[in-house]
Amino acid sequence: MQGVIPSHVVTCSHDGTPNASAISQVYYVDPDHVALSHQFFNKTKRNIEENPRAVVWVVNPETFESWDLELEFVRSETSGSVFEVMEMQIEAIASMVGMKGIFKLRAADIFRVISAAKAVGERIPPAEIPAPR
Amino acid sequence: MSADPRDTSELREQIALNQQAIDRLNRDLARKSDEIQIIQQISSEITSTLDLDEVLGIVLRAMDTVLGFAHSMILLKDLGDDILRVAATRGYVDQAAGAQVRLGEGVIGVVGERRRMMRIGNIGASMRYLRSVRARMEAAGEVAPAEAPAAALPGLADVQSQLALPLTVKDRLVGVLAVESQTPNAFDELDEILLRIVGNQAATAIDNARTYQMVEQLGRLKRFFSPQLADLIIRGGADDPLKTHRREVTVVFLDLRGFTAFAETSEPEELMGVLHEYHAEMGRLILAHEGTLERFTGDGMMIFFNDPLPMPDAAERAVRMAVTMRDRAAELSVRWRRKGYELDLGIGIAKGFATIGAIGFEGRWDYGAIGTVTNLAARLCGEAKPGQILISPRVLLEVEHLLEVEELGLLTVKGLARPVRPLNVVRLRDPV
Repeated sequence: MQGVIPSHVVTCSHDGTPNASAISQVYYVDPDHVALSHQFFNKTKRNIEENPRAVVWVVNPETFESWDLELEFVRSETSGSVFEVMEMQIEAIASMVGMKGIFKLRAADIFRVISAAKAVGERIPPAEIPAPR
Repeated sequence: MSADPRDTSELREQIALNQQAIDRLNRDLARKSDEIQIIQQISSEITSTLDLDEVLGIVLRAMDTVLGFAHSMILLKDLGDDILRVAATRGYVDQAAGAQVRLGEGVIGVVGERRRMMRIGNIGASMRYLRSVRARMEAAGEVAPAEAPAAALPGLADVQSQLALPLTVKDRLVGVLAVESQTPNAFDELDEILLRIVGNQAATAIDNARTYQMVEQLGRLKRFFSPQLADLIIRGGADDPLKTHRREVTVVFLDLRGFTAFAETSEPEELMGVLHEYHAEMGRLILAHEGTLERFTGDGMMIFFNDPLPMPDAAERAVRMAVTMRDRAAELSVRWRRKGYELDLGIGIAKGFATIGAIGFEGRWDYGAIGTVTNLAARLCGEAKPGQILISPRVLLEVEHLLEVEELGLLTVKGLARPVRPLNVVRLRDPV
């Protein structure tokens, strides 16, 4: 899961409007769960509150194989080992690009993995994907 | 998993793959049990020496030859600051010795600050992403444009993977052990386990070696400096003052007039009694004025100021010490005279550049100053009549406002092209 950065997450508002957004970390918790990094209050976060389903799309950096994980929101963690490991990594990287204190982990959002599928279709490079707002 | 089996088939496949990965890990582990034996051997090697450089060398060699980590480094934290300094590296073209990382800065700095291990395998991609986030935020005016670029961190250019372990002894951070690679995801769980085993041993060994080194150095320094000063030098992490250097110092020479005659005519016990008393009193005053005692030679002493610690008021300290010594020696003389000893103090003070450092040979080192300034101070001391403090004109320049002096005749000194006109310190001016 220490894969290509960023990964992309697709959520949906209660009225069905979809939203795609980039996410800096998808962390493997256990065979049934992943954690997504929550850094900004954005549309993804709002949508999850309205509709807990999401699809995240991760790429293996060695094989460039990509996977779609169908997810359901479980809980948001702001302490504990999953949060700490993710937070430390984000802080380390942020400190190297002058973003310490600005770009930081607010929460590790734990999702249950409903299904996983090898993704098909064309990928666009990360540079063309909008930053999380 | 309670979903449609069609949905989960891929996941099942992935789980099977995971299981294969775990099996592979177990096989690796079995293979690496040989390595664990070697690690045990390493750890006994590590703990068999108290030489810090040797300990660091053993650890990094093991990283490379046993664990296969080609690029590794150990950073150590000094007492009393929050900086990690590179103490040893292996596998780098540029040795980066002396490079440093502030706690909280980069992977190594954060590991040091949190005292938690970190394994990260996508540094380049993460930084690219974060830089683009930053650029967008800057464009939107949400953050100030980047200030000075972040300080260069020691290590590989274009590093992708790092595994960094805090070296702690009883919760105290000793340093950080880091291995790195330009390949993404270069390290796995097994590497974490192996690094942790060696790291724990290394932390204790490094700490013991540093403590030993410090005690040794402290012992060495205490022979020359006041205990407080020796301590300060050790804690300050300053350059080793015993390394040869050149500095402007104020040098004080003192000895007892009449001592040679006294030594020839008195009993050894009497002689040692007088010397002991004299050394104790003068020594106390040297410490009080924070002078550096360079040497004793019977009744003679040489003290200098402004080294190893810089002192803006070196000349003033020297003169005040000399005047206090003269007063104290006068009291001692009264007592000595009652016993029939004719002993009086004479002092010479000069200021100038000297070459300073450890002088001697293995087994017998002294902290010494060499230069015309020491000759001049010795010569002035030799010329001083009982109770006189002779200072050079350069010393007077700095302390003129403090002193009442009387001029004396010209004096030629070996090594000086022109004669000097020394001045005798009559007394300190009363504070206004």
